[in-house]
Amino acid sequence: MLWLLAAELRKLVRPLVWGTALAIVAFCLLITWGAANNARARLASPRIPDVCDQAATAQCRLVVAHAHAAARAAAAATAQLAQPGEVGHVAAGMLASLPGLLLIAMIAGGHWGGEWGSRTIRQLLCREGRRGRVLAAKWLSTWIAGVLTLLACLVVLAGAAPVIAAGAGLPAAHAGLWAGLGSSLSAAGRAVVVLGLFAAIGTAAGTVGRGQLATTALTAGPMLLALLVAGIAGLGRLSPASFVQAWMAFGPAGYLPTNFWSRFAGAGPSLGELAGLAGILVTIAVAAAIARWRFAADVTA
Amino acid sequence: MNVISCTHLTKRFGATVAVSELDLDVAAGQVYGFLGPNGAGKTTTIRMLLGLIAPTAGHIRLLGRPLPDPRAVSRTGSMIEEPAFYPWLTGRQNLQVTAWAGGSHPAGELGRVLDATGLGAVAGRKVRTYSQGMRQRLGLAAAMLGRPPLLVIDEPTNGLDPAGIREVRGLLRDLADSGTAVFMSSHLLAEVEQVCDRVAVIVAGRLVEEGPPARLGAIRRRVRVRVGAADAEAAGRLLAARWTTRPLDGHFVVEHDSGRDVNAALVAGGVIAESVAVEAPRLEDRFLEIVEEGTHAVAAGG
Repeated sequence: MLWLLAAELRKLVRPLVWGTALAIVAFCLLITWGAANNARARLASPRIPDVCDQAATAQCRLVVAHAHAAARAAAAATAQLAQPGEVGHVAAGMLASLPGLLLIAMIAGGHWGGEWGSRTIRQLLCREGRRGRVLAAKWLSTWIAGVLTLLACLVVLAGAAPVIAAGAGLPAAHAGLWAGLGSSLSAAGRAVVVLGLFAAIGTAAGTVGRGQLATTALTAGPMLLALLVAGIAGLGRLSPASFVQAWMAFGPAGYLPTNFWSRFAGAGPSLGELAGLAGILVTIAVAAAIARWRFAADVTA
Repeated sequence: MNVISCTHLTKRFGATVAVSELDLDVAAGQVYGFLGPNGAGKTTTIRMLLGLIAPTAGHIRLLGRPLPDPRAVSRTGSMIEEPAFYPWLTGRQNLQVTAWAGGSHPAGELGRVLDATGLGAVAGRKVRTYSQGMRQRLGLAAAMLGRPPLLVIDEPTNGLDPAGIREVRGLLRDLADSGTAVFMSSHLLAEVEQVCDRVAVIVAGRLVEEGPPARLGAIRRRVRVRVGAADAEAAGRLLAARWTTRPLDGHFVVEHDSGRDVNAALVAGGVIAESVAVEAPRLEDRFLEIVEEGTHAVAAGG
């Protein structure tokens, strides 16, 4: 099994995977840069109602003071999130939400669906006919690729985010460089579980789609649908997107978004963290069952 | 010991019968040719042998073990149709991931199969730069990894130049001489004649003939007779009275294996032949006849 996993990991060293992972890391950097610039702009020009622009009433002075305080607080929060100890929230949130889903969909498409498109699946199954092992190796290798991208995001943001924040002229963070490291790593750990879910869906999608584009679409499509369903009262609680939302405890986004999930999931009913984890594990089991069932059929590629 | 045994092997795709009641036995150390026209069921049979598709009915024993058995399949070297590889990896890396997928990574094995297939010099190049012949060689190299006791190969010399074809034929013979059984499908009948110990012919999913290629080629020797124009009518009558005879390009082709008998019959009837020649049809001719007969038989049998 370890040799098979080694073979699958070796196959992942390819331009498609590098390119997609680099794009995700670049996106994380871009988001941080944009957030820092937005926070600085708001700090320089707080949002003051037009009626209080020129007026000097006591009430308007209060509103203006409040707007300045809010801008300073938002800038400080952004500067804090950009500290090395806190960037794990950003990296984890990105990889456990839509950017991570897109990454896994792309990898699953090339790495698993592509085995049918290029007809290499025959050679693979002739060398290792135990299909359960092949599925496990594909799932693990796709998952590992996602986790390595998460680590890359974390490391790059830890180095670059403080520089970006300082460059934008944000106020110094009120806590130390490594403050919040524990909760940051905890968020990253939770994201690892979500990446496992995405990889399981990608593995099942490969056995159903049996082609690169179909696998990519069948990995991303159901989760996007689940995001829409998550906002529906009653039904939304059973959506895998709600499980992710609950497990990751995604909050509302500030200038520096910590996920691209909660804003699309809508204000559906909330689950507890453990219920979210249980839902994720059940979804992985369902994906594994679909993959086993579909992969037992004839392979004629 | 038989390395492949198929009993009443049948595969249906919906209403289409791809392989019907196929019985095959391949002994260890044999090079076994599997002939048939396009769509005859050769590749379907090979896919069933390798566990890629499941038979609708019948049984397969591979290397002594009843299928489905992934271990028996993984001990079998295989190359199906045009071999496929990961284009972003080099030839050596492709062989490496193939070896790893099988769970083994013997030291020096990659070098051995690369040298045996003449790819040592280009093993460091990306496979996307390989010609079809080089890919074919790489497919053979992958099939030979781990010294399997059985090779199942589809069209092994496809895309090779004449020198490459000769090398591969020699390679297959060497493998058989060292105890490796080779089960190969091919459309190149000269290749089958030169390399194979036994041949099976499959038409429309049914086995129509099986045996050593020499027997298959000579099983119906025939006599070609040429007579003068004035004697043609009499000769045709004399020959048709005793044997199946048909005119062909100014000759008579007589379905009989003795030129002496044919000549004697003509002389007894007062006809002197200008030439009498016994022909052992090439396997190619015989194959086409078998296919034609098999197609008629299958059509007649419904």
